[in-house]
Amino acid sequence: MQIYLPIAELSINIFLLLGLGGAVGFLSGMFGVGGGFLLTPLLIFSGIPPAVAVGTQANQTVASSISGALAHWRQGTVDLKMGLVLLVGGAVGSFLGIYVFGLLKSVGQVDLLISLSYVLFLGVIGGLMLIESVRAIIAERRGGGATARRSNHHNWVHRLPFKMRFRKSRLYISAIPPLLLGTLVGMLVAIMGVGGGFIMVPAMIYMLRMPTNVVIGTSLFQIIFVTGLVTVLHSVQNQAVDVLLALLLLTGGVIGAQFGARAGEKLRGEHLRLLLGLLVLLVGARLGYDLIATPDDMFSLSGGLG
Amino acid sequence: MSKLITKFLLPYVALLGFIDPVHAEGIVTDLSKHEVAIRSNFTGADILVFGAIERAGDSASTGPADVVIEVTGPETTETVRRKDKVSGIWMNYEATRFERVPGFYAVLSSRPLENIAPASLLKVEQLGFNNISFGKAWSSVLGGEENLRTPDEVAPFSTAILRSRAKDKLYVADSNGVVFMGDTLFRASIPLPASVPVGLYTVKVYLLRDGHVVDAISSPLLIAKSGVERVIYRFAYGQPFLYGIVAVLLAIFAGWTAALIFREH
Repeated sequence: MQIYLPIAELSINIFLLLGLGGAVGFLSGMFGVGGGFLLTPLLIFSGIPPAVAVGTQANQTVASSISGALAHWRQGTVDLKMGLVLLVGGAVGSFLGIYVFGLLKSVGQVDLLISLSYVLFLGVIGGLMLIESVRAIIAERRGGGATARRSNHHNWVHRLPFKMRFRKSRLYISAIPPLLLGTLVGMLVAIMGVGGGFIMVPAMIYMLRMPTNVVIGTSLFQIIFVTGLVTVLHSVQNQAVDVLLALLLLTGGVIGAQFGARAGEKLRGEHLRLLLGLLVLLVGARLGYDLIATPDDMFSLSGGLG
Repeated sequence: MSKLITKFLLPYVALLGFIDPVHAEGIVTDLSKHEVAIRSNFTGADILVFGAIERAGDSASTGPADVVIEVTGPETTETVRRKDKVSGIWMNYEATRFERVPGFYAVLSSRPLENIAPASLLKVEQLGFNNISFGKAWSSVLGGEENLRTPDEVAPFSTAILRSRAKDKLYVADSNGVVFMGDTLFRASIPLPASVPVGLYTVKVYLLRDGHVVDAISSPLLIAKSGVERVIYRFAYGQPFLYGIVAVLLAIFAGWTAALIFREH
């Protein structure tokens, strides 16, 4: 059954969209990740214009993050002050990202920007996950059991000025690193449409040294606001948010996530990360291949404003 | 409205054609519908063009009559980009912007165009793929300065438009598309694909004899988004800021509802 998407301006099989949303929802439920970094490339592979894929993905991420954020809010595992500082950075980053997006769109390079960003981030994240999980598996086979190294030494983050006290995180650090982190992630949200949790969470743990119990909640808190802002910015600048597409993906996504979460309980953590790492690398490799392989047609059309 | 025209006006138009001494021969035509609504289940449509040749007193005219139907969609600016390998990566390098590119173009005839009329006439009437004009062409490299180019210089770019649009079934040429029933009645079906652009179309029916245009009639055809699609599209382009806000609120509501439903289980 075909459905006509009003903003993407094409007719596409409704079950393909529900299936894509469901499959990525399944994975995100299983691995506990947002899934936007997989869904956007898959949408591009199925013919959705990259700009629409990004704008719509930002909108869909708002929906898929809200339940988690609410749950963490009720449990009191959101560092509101840290979240707000990250959010200020995120807002600045979103505007910067949207500006770069518009600039490159006007010279016909926005598809390249999206592809390159994805290849870079999928490659790095996938590679790191793969190495880390293989190490964990090897360490466990040897019987030693991986010991989490988390030094208590102060790093460079603690020597910067403009210190602020974050009670919930039990931190007294400069506001500059979270502002910069927020800005970087805001740019990624604007350019890639993802929530950016895959950068935010590790950076909060290893760079800011936040306690792990408030990391996810605080990350989700700011993701909702930043992806919401990016949705509005993409609507205003590019008219690239397709609510119908977002709703279809979301419907598949929430159902898939329920089954994914159950399947995830049966698999071991490091095996999960190994699988996810391989999947991420695979999607990145496919995008990268499209950049270097000789195209079938050297010419491409972009509509009036493109 | 169109029904009214067919029922009451057509006989008079036909009569005029019949007695008008200047037009010894003429055509009357109409479309099966003058408006196409694009809804969520839109997978394309066929528009039927039908008509009749109205002949003057001596029915034994010379040579066979030919009917050519040309459908032109709304014209827009179109940018064609050519990829080039830059440090190992294929990226858009040279771009050409054409000022008036029809979003849809179909030419249907009862036999190949080149057998119907001389090349000079086809060029003047802009009939056929090779004769569509795309307006002025401007070229630039990597978003740099734009320079006006002649049609010959940008031929690879204009043929790229033809190729791409033909692949998407947005440019159609069918030399068997017009079917005659007897000597005077004819009909043709214009296939509109799902990705057909919205806007005002012109359906022009030519009657040719011995390589000359004897008569030509234009009819308008409106293709518009309808229902939810129209509302969403107009909202997104008319009130982009409000649209963004609503999109976010909708996402929050949907995500929250989903969370509630699954907590029950």
